[in-house]
Amino acid sequence: MNRIKEDFNTLTLVMIPVAIAINIAIGQIVYALKLPLYLDSIGTVLVGVLAGPWAGALTGLLSNLVWGVSGLNVAYTWYAPVAAVIGLLAGFFAQWGWFKTWWKVILGGLLTGLVAAILSAPITAYVYGGVTGSGTDVIVAVFRNIGLGILPSSFVQGVSSDPLDKAVSFLIVYLIIRGLPYRFVDRFPRSEAVS
Amino acid sequence: MTTPFSLYLDRETGLHRLHPLTKLALALFYLVAGIAAPGVWGSYTVFLLLLPPALWGRIARPLLVAAGKAVLPFAVSLFLVQGFFWPGGTPILTLGPFSLKEEGLVFAIRSTGRILALVGSFLLLTLSTRPDRLMQALGERGTPQALTYILLTTLQIVPRFQEKARTILDAQRSRGLETEGNPWQRVRALLPLIQPLILGSIVDIEERAIALEVRAFGRSGPKTNLVALADSRGQQLARWLLLFGAVAVVGARLFLAVTGP
Repeated sequence: MNRIKEDFNTLTLVMIPVAIAINIAIGQIVYALKLPLYLDSIGTVLVGVLAGPWAGALTGLLSNLVWGVSGLNVAYTWYAPVAAVIGLLAGFFAQWGWFKTWWKVILGGLLTGLVAAILSAPITAYVYGGVTGSGTDVIVAVFRNIGLGILPSSFVQGVSSDPLDKAVSFLIVYLIIRGLPYRFVDRFPRSEAVS
Repeated sequence: MTTPFSLYLDRETGLHRLHPLTKLALALFYLVAGIAAPGVWGSYTVFLLLLPPALWGRIARPLLVAAGKAVLPFAVSLFLVQGFFWPGGTPILTLGPFSLKEEGLVFAIRSTGRILALVGSFLLLTLSTRPDRLMQALGERGTPQALTYILLTTLQIVPRFQEKARTILDAQRSRGLETEGNPWQRVRALLPLIQPLILGSIVDIEERAIALEVRAFGRSGPKTNLVALADSRGQQLARWLLLFGAVAVVGARLFLAVTGP
């Protein structure tokens, strides 16, 4: 409990809005580059690593709520729990020392993506009728056509994009943290997770 | 102050003058009703019922436009994916090797309606409520100050970040960075775009943290707000009725599900 309180120091509280803004701004850059990725959880992962799982979870949750309630990407609101779990997992992986070696970072990203796919499938299936309104819906069409149910089809669609997306996000965060001055990283509650 | 990250429209109407929590309760009621509404067209009815308050707040047209924009990609996907690729099903229209299935079409119409109602109820709140007033109202009802600080700051810095992202995109392009072409080229463009954005922003976090701490941000105890929110007995009652109504709608829906055909 005390550990969580320490995680939420003023630096963390100031970091979270910046992280949310990073999620949204990079999400839009990637969208403009028309890549088959989202990369809208880089800020969430960054907070998870530097300020612990619970701060990461809060960042993810609020990112999607803000993005949704702003009226600019309403569909994202319902994925807020998934975003929270992404921040949580990033925090735990960092706590277990997985953010010190590049291949463990990628592995952590892949696992997080798999969990994200499992958790988003029911949301996609029950809230959005199994589609995301993007190009990957072709995958859903293929699997529906061979007789798969809506929930499994949504899961396959998630697995086709989430693990890669999260692995790339984790790797970017790893590279960013290595590029930050140590004096700065050291001020975060969980700086020992990356050095 | 930069424009907050929100679709909020400043109008002088009765809807806008309502206490933010009243509008939050109203949006929640529509949200729950939109999910619980039975039948293929039930959610569409809920969406139509959003129009009277929207007209009162003179936000009906932006609400329709924004809802249409948000729902259209889903509607197209639903129609194509579920309509044409529904396993089994009764074909009602055949186009070459594909055929439109009745079950799929019904499912697509119902899902689109539900998404429309979800999006619409959010937009009713967003378009008519200043985000900072909503946060203030939540803060006055005991939401931790750290949380309202995070949300308010986010709303203010996101537009600045978007601007920064656009500047970086333009700057790197003018230096010859390929942002179009094959996917590999576009992937390679990613890091030179992301890195300056993140490194630049993270470094001034520390300064902002110090600025807040010297202004007694971490101090406990009550704080005074510059703007007082107007509330009334009638609105308090309305909020309770709306929350009760939302529960009642869910109850009615469950009752229908148990006893219905």
